[in-house]
Amino acid sequence: MVSKMILETVEKLRSGDLDVDEYVEKTYEKLYRIENKIKAFITIRDKEEVKREVKEKIKLNGRLSGILIAVKDNISTKGIRTTCASKMLEDYIPPYDATVIEKLKKEGAVILGKTNMDEFAMGSTTETSYFGSTRNPWDLERTPGGSSGGSGAALAAGIVDIALGSDTGGSIRAPAAFNGVFGLKPSYGTVSRFGLVAYANSLEQIGPMAKNAEDLSILYSIISGDDPRDATTISLAPEKIENAELKRVKMGVLKDIVDASDKAVVSVFNNALNKLSSEGVEIEETKLGYTEYVLPAYYIIAMAEASSNLARFDGVRYGYSKYGEGSWRETFAKNRGEGFGIEVKRRILLGSFILSAGYYEEFYIKALKVRRLIKESLDNLLTKYDVIVSPTMPILPPKIGEVIDDPIKMYAMDLNTVIANLAGIPALSQPAGLYNNLPVGLQLMGKYLSDYYLMALSSKIEKVLNLYDLTANIS
Amino acid sequence: MKIEVNDQLVSKLQNLALIELSPNEKERIKKDISNILDFFDKLNELDLSSIEPLFHPISTGKLRKDEIQQPLSLDDALKNVKRKENGYIIGPATYGE
Repeated sequence: MVSKMILETVEKLRSGDLDVDEYVEKTYEKLYRIENKIKAFITIRDKEEVKREVKEKIKLNGRLSGILIAVKDNISTKGIRTTCASKMLEDYIPPYDATVIEKLKKEGAVILGKTNMDEFAMGSTTETSYFGSTRNPWDLERTPGGSSGGSGAALAAGIVDIALGSDTGGSIRAPAAFNGVFGLKPSYGTVSRFGLVAYANSLEQIGPMAKNAEDLSILYSIISGDDPRDATTISLAPEKIENAELKRVKMGVLKDIVDASDKAVVSVFNNALNKLSSEGVEIEETKLGYTEYVLPAYYIIAMAEASSNLARFDGVRYGYSKYGEGSWRETFAKNRGEGFGIEVKRRILLGSFILSAGYYEEFYIKALKVRRLIKESLDNLLTKYDVIVSPTMPILPPKIGEVIDDPIKMYAMDLNTVIANLAGIPALSQPAGLYNNLPVGLQLMGKYLSDYYLMALSSKIEKVLNLYDLTANIS
Repeated sequence: MKIEVNDQLVSKLQNLALIELSPNEKERIKKDISNILDFFDKLNELDLSSIEPLFHPISTGKLRKDEIQQPLSLDDALKNVKRKENGYIIGPATYGE
């Protein structure tokens, strides 16, 4: 009844029921067959090296001993190229591991490769990648969402069972929704950002992606925790909840968010809610408020933080450095002009504007005030409801090229997801159903530090909807 | 507040952000910035005078213990440097501008 894909695989590898060579060979076979169609990875590790590592790791008594994992390419991996899908870092090899990678290695996980993403995580479709777009395994003409699109596609294609993403305004949940998999944007401060290439510090978290709620929870329990190297991690751990009952759960539906979503999405979403209602979930419509102000506030904050964070890329200590002669201003400006793609440049330039004298109060401070209003509204709703729900994305996965040339159109995709980042609360996306064989996501948001509760609830919901361990049929 | 996005503003932003744009990019970005600022202008509809800004979702910051730790070796730290000499990074000129 309960699906525990990764724990079963660990056990089979350990007992010898699953041969290591077979496990690795099958994974690579699938990868070679599918990868040229979906382009989920930027870097794939050498098969023999991976095989050797899996053999070593299954001797360890780790919770993930021998399990292959896909890692988003903005998470530092010692000795493995970490590009952030940018020309700027095309040949950058980190000399250290991110904290989450250290933790995974301790539990025996083995990195299969680094996944494609929007450049520096700036995008919602994985189309801003310097290495080209990833394609959605459910429909190769469509995007997998973003920015963690490669991780989402690798899961949906059945290449891996677990993956890491990062979420600044929906970058885990969008690809989870569009690929029919599970993703958690954790409570802010519960997962270390040490080794995550920073985009917008006050908004982002690394988080788990998987094919069912149980695997999601196992992965989260491994990567989360206080870290002296990240001053924003908290010492208070979320309470571990393994079981949640659906009966009498109070679920608030964000009507104003639902109303802004496409009909196709809403029909699948409502269908899922009807099934939950017949299991005793108490569903009530409510409102977030401020929905027209959410996206401007979010993008002002994200761009301001981005302009400051990305100031470090000058090509001197690492990164694109075609130019080295001339004054430092010229050198930096040329390296940055050629090393960054258009969306990254747009956000840095706007961020510089927002933080410049005369406009700081006009834009940045106002956005931070709206942020407080949104957080207060969510906190208030979460005193009335156990969980707040909405569709994860307002639209079905867009076709490649459909939104990429119009920034405002692309930003509009993030309405449902950015609110959790502004408030720091946990948010999870799981499959709600399919519309013409395209996955639609259900988003659950909960109180700060209710991460395990959300995942326990999600585990019950996946059984009711009978939607977990989905793999796309790639033609 | 309607902000006019002209060549002068784009040049100022290039200087602030230290990003050189090609002529084509300049035109494209000028248009985008103008559209995005209109989109941001929405916030001016709200009276926010009595609201405190929220810079960060959590209020607790902390310091790590001041203990000696093993840093990266010099070799490791300089591995991604393109121009280096005797354990030093060669940077661009910072004088004579």
